[in-house]
Amino acid sequence: MNAVLQYAVQGLAAGSFYALAALGLAIIFGVLGVVNFAHGAFYMLGAVTAAVLLDTLALPLWWSLLVVPVLMFGFGVVVERLLVQWLLRLDPLYNFLLTFGLTLVLVELVKQRYGVSGLPYKLPGALSGRVDLAGVVLPRYQLFVFLFSVAICVLVWVVMTRTRVGMIVRASTEKPELARALGINVGRWVTPVFGFGVALAGLAGVLAAPFRAITADMGNNFAIILFAVVVIGGLGSIVGAVVAGFLVGLVEAFGQAYAPTFAQILIFVLMALIILVRPAGLFGRKEATA
Amino acid sequence: MRSKRIGAGASAMTAVLLLGACGGGGPGGSDGDFTEGKLVLAVLNDQSGIYKDASGPNSVKAVRMAVADYQKKYGDRAVVDEIEVTSTDHQNKPDIANSKASELYERGGADVILDVPTSSAALAVANQAKKHKRVFLDVSAATTELTGGQCNKYTFQWAYNTYMLANGTGTTVTENGGKNWQIIYPDYEFGQNMTRSFTEAIKKAGGTVQGTIPTPFPNDNFATFLTKAGSTNPDVIGTMQAGGDLINVVKQFNESGLKEKGIDLAVGLMLITDIHSLGVDQFAGTMFTDAWYWNMDAESRAWADRFRDETGTRPTFEHAGNYSAALQYLEAVQEAGTDDADAVVGKLEGKKINDVFLRNGEIRAKDHLVVHDAYLARVKKPSEVKEDWDYEEIVTTIPAAKAFPPAEASNCSL
Amino acid sequence: MTRSVVDEAPVTEAPAPVAGSDPRLRWVLLSAGLVAALALPWFVYPPVAMDIVAMALFAIALDILLGYTGLLSFGHAAFWGSSAYVTGLIATHYGVPFPLAVVGGAVFAMILALPVGYPSVRRSGIYFAMVTLAFAQMVYFIGYQWSDLTGGENGLQGVPRTFFGIELVETESFYFYYAALPILLFGMWAAWRIVHSPFGRVLVSIRDNTQRARALGYEVDKYKIIAFVLSAGLTGLAGGVFAINHGFVALTELHWSTSGEVVLMTVLGGIGTLWGGILGAFLAVMLADYLASSGFDGIDLVTGSVFVLVVLLFRRGIWGTVRHQWLAWQQRRTSSRRTSAGADPAERGP
Repeated sequence: MNAVLQYAVQGLAAGSFYALAALGLAIIFGVLGVVNFAHGAFYMLGAVTAAVLLDTLALPLWWSLLVVPVLMFGFGVVVERLLVQWLLRLDPLYNFLLTFGLTLVLVELVKQRYGVSGLPYKLPGALSGRVDLAGVVLPRYQLFVFLFSVAICVLVWVVMTRTRVGMIVRASTEKPELARALGINVGRWVTPVFGFGVALAGLAGVLAAPFRAITADMGNNFAIILFAVVVIGGLGSIVGAVVAGFLVGLVEAFGQAYAPTFAQILIFVLMALIILVRPAGLFGRKEATA
Repeated sequence: MRSKRIGAGASAMTAVLLLGACGGGGPGGSDGDFTEGKLVLAVLNDQSGIYKDASGPNSVKAVRMAVADYQKKYGDRAVVDEIEVTSTDHQNKPDIANSKASELYERGGADVILDVPTSSAALAVANQAKKHKRVFLDVSAATTELTGGQCNKYTFQWAYNTYMLANGTGTTVTENGGKNWQIIYPDYEFGQNMTRSFTEAIKKAGGTVQGTIPTPFPNDNFATFLTKAGSTNPDVIGTMQAGGDLINVVKQFNESGLKEKGIDLAVGLMLITDIHSLGVDQFAGTMFTDAWYWNMDAESRAWADRFRDETGTRPTFEHAGNYSAALQYLEAVQEAGTDDADAVVGKLEGKKINDVFLRNGEIRAKDHLVVHDAYLARVKKPSEVKEDWDYEEIVTTIPAAKAFPPAEASNCSL
Repeated sequence: MTRSVVDEAPVTEAPAPVAGSDPRLRWVLLSAGLVAALALPWFVYPPVAMDIVAMALFAIALDILLGYTGLLSFGHAAFWGSSAYVTGLIATHYGVPFPLAVVGGAVFAMILALPVGYPSVRRSGIYFAMVTLAFAQMVYFIGYQWSDLTGGENGLQGVPRTFFGIELVETESFYFYYAALPILLFGMWAAWRIVHSPFGRVLVSIRDNTQRARALGYEVDKYKIIAFVLSAGLTGLAGGVFAINHGFVALTELHWSTSGEVVLMTVLGGIGTLWGGILGAFLAVMLADYLASSGFDGIDLVTGSVFVLVVLLFRRGIWGTVRHQWLAWQQRRTSSRRTSAGADPAERGP
């Protein structure tokens, strides 16, 4: 019983991280209709930037959690203005392809500059060690990742439901026709929303730095899992991405415990099943912009 | 690759194949026993992917150092004047390795191909060596198949294999008191082989393997696997992960609290570049088997200093292995007086060698596995590190005869 | 660069005979292509030449879906790789002449395409890409796990090149090229027949307006599945030849990066053009081959940048751009003669 609880807690911890990482992907798709293949590369850039800031300026994790998303937001804005915006009115496949090419370039640039073996990142002392939650032992940093991710998800949700900006974004995500009919100018928000999504990816990267290998390739496989998350949740659905993130975290944890070899492929089996039963995903619109 | 030519008929084609390699130079030298009067050493490895730091471009420099040393040693007595070292990137793609190897032998005039990391690529190159009857000295691939079921007359495995890694660590750690093991391994050929070899070695040394846990590959999240492995309170958790996944395991192991419970971590395959990239504090205390360490004695250190002058960094065992392989190949050519592969292989087979990399080395005639002393290493604590790259303490030297599988066990027939 | 770039280029171009397209030109192109295919191993190292032609068929097969049906498959490595494995296994265990093994691989790819295609084609656009990617991941996983059969990450080594005891073909890659070329040319011919048949025209109408095609009474999903299976079969032919050419099969052939690579070739050459796939494959393989021994270690930097540029500026791809210019020129010429220039049917808004 205790073991089951332990796996559940680990699954939730992992799931919160998937939710946070997938959030940006879902928001970008929702507003821009772009499947951002480079999301994994932005995640990687976040982690690498944090490692470089720690190495050169001794900037601690706390500051990186603040600074890196701001930098990544700026980078996202540049990418949107320079590249993505030209393809927005075309078939979304073109931006998918564009960001695929961009991924190759970004990963290779990091390889050229920082090598292939990875960068070191030391966990701050305050976050090392373990906590005991009623018999379930969790690394303190995992608890931090969980709380932090949940906080960000809630924050994003509040912004989306309680502020004017959020309403506009949400309206354009969930009911684009209606938003247009009401005369809401979605276009103005495209660039900042893209930047925001990239910032979220970068934030996930910073969080990953202390407990994952920081290499140029770290986002490649991760991005593929995130695609599964957003497809399961329903492309473009913010709530869907969060719920699916937790779901995938749990499936992975119990998969690792009881069918270790199949832990990762279970995610894709889940995705295939969901698509068979509910083609638009758990929270997707009936027929999303295809 | 080299110059591409246009033929006018099938017969011209054959002529091109024969002459293809001579480029602009033509057979100018007086070395009648050498094709086109020169010797070509071709390094074929990963110059851009995950194995770039471990071997990559610096292995080419190591091979150049071997050529310089050979020329210095023999001077005018050298049987060949012109020695060319070429470098080709297989991009970690076995199909590119395959066609490049074929092209190097057929048109690049390569007398020997060196290095070739990644098992699938190495096995493909071995097949090309067999087909073209030219020498292939593999340094960086770990599969025992190279000198086992898929061995051939022209292929040699110079530095290490999965058996050496598993046997060294498994036996020595168990003998030193780590009796109860849990093993986490990536569920593919390499991981499965390593786990089998580890289990055998641990049992032979009087230990028990409480459980083996397969994991997906690649994988970022090892939390549950570690919890499961720790649940039986083993003395040691062995991980067979490599590269980025290894770093994931180590980071998450350190956070899991298993270390504080007195559980040690033993690593199947680790290179000094892994320690360098993650930082010595993360790995402190970890045990693993190394084929060579740059600071293990004065001779190694002197060579490592020269290597640093050339490259600006310290060598991995793969760099030293490439140097050794190239040097011994040149020695064999010197002895044979020709670059004819059969003659050179004849000189290499059964040869006993002591050089900067190989200690008590022997090129086994039966399966072309190069056996030599191996080392059980422990990663130093940050406080013990005195200079850059000073990361390892050699705990025990594992004699050549024990480090590698016995020749009788090999199912190779050349 | 101005915003107008967005409005200009069509997503894909229609394959149907376009106003002003010249049947004589087609014959010139076909003969030129044939001569180029026959001459290739004289200029390029034969195994690399074989890779080019195999990759070209792979790109063309993908284009049947991407360019002519409007479906981006991001999981075609599953068909390429599984056919390579099946071909390799047949050749190794049964010692049959290699064309037979290749056919076996292609048939397997088509069988595999049924269960993958059935749920996939119910989705379009980006969903289709994601679903095919997920299925390809599963196939990759099976290849990884089933190492008794596939050799795991060591690959399936030592695949023989049996060919009726004709030693030249079996040992010399130069002659092997000519023995295998007909298989690939057959695949290309089949692709050409498919897209220019009435069936192909239905596919294009599905691509252009699914609703309308449905309203006209076409069973859209059935057409899509057939296109998917045919594409998988042609991909299988290419993958099988690739396996025999190298004498081994590695897991890379099943990896998603291979799926990405072929999409890249197709887009580079030009979506919906068939010839573009050939050109894209030629450029991509030659570039990788050249960079391997150039001492430059940033191959993805080059391919990635080229890809970004093509998607941004030359969405028609190289072949598509050339053809577009040619057609525009032809149209100007005809319309200057008789002022009846209808709109170019190739022009199509997103």
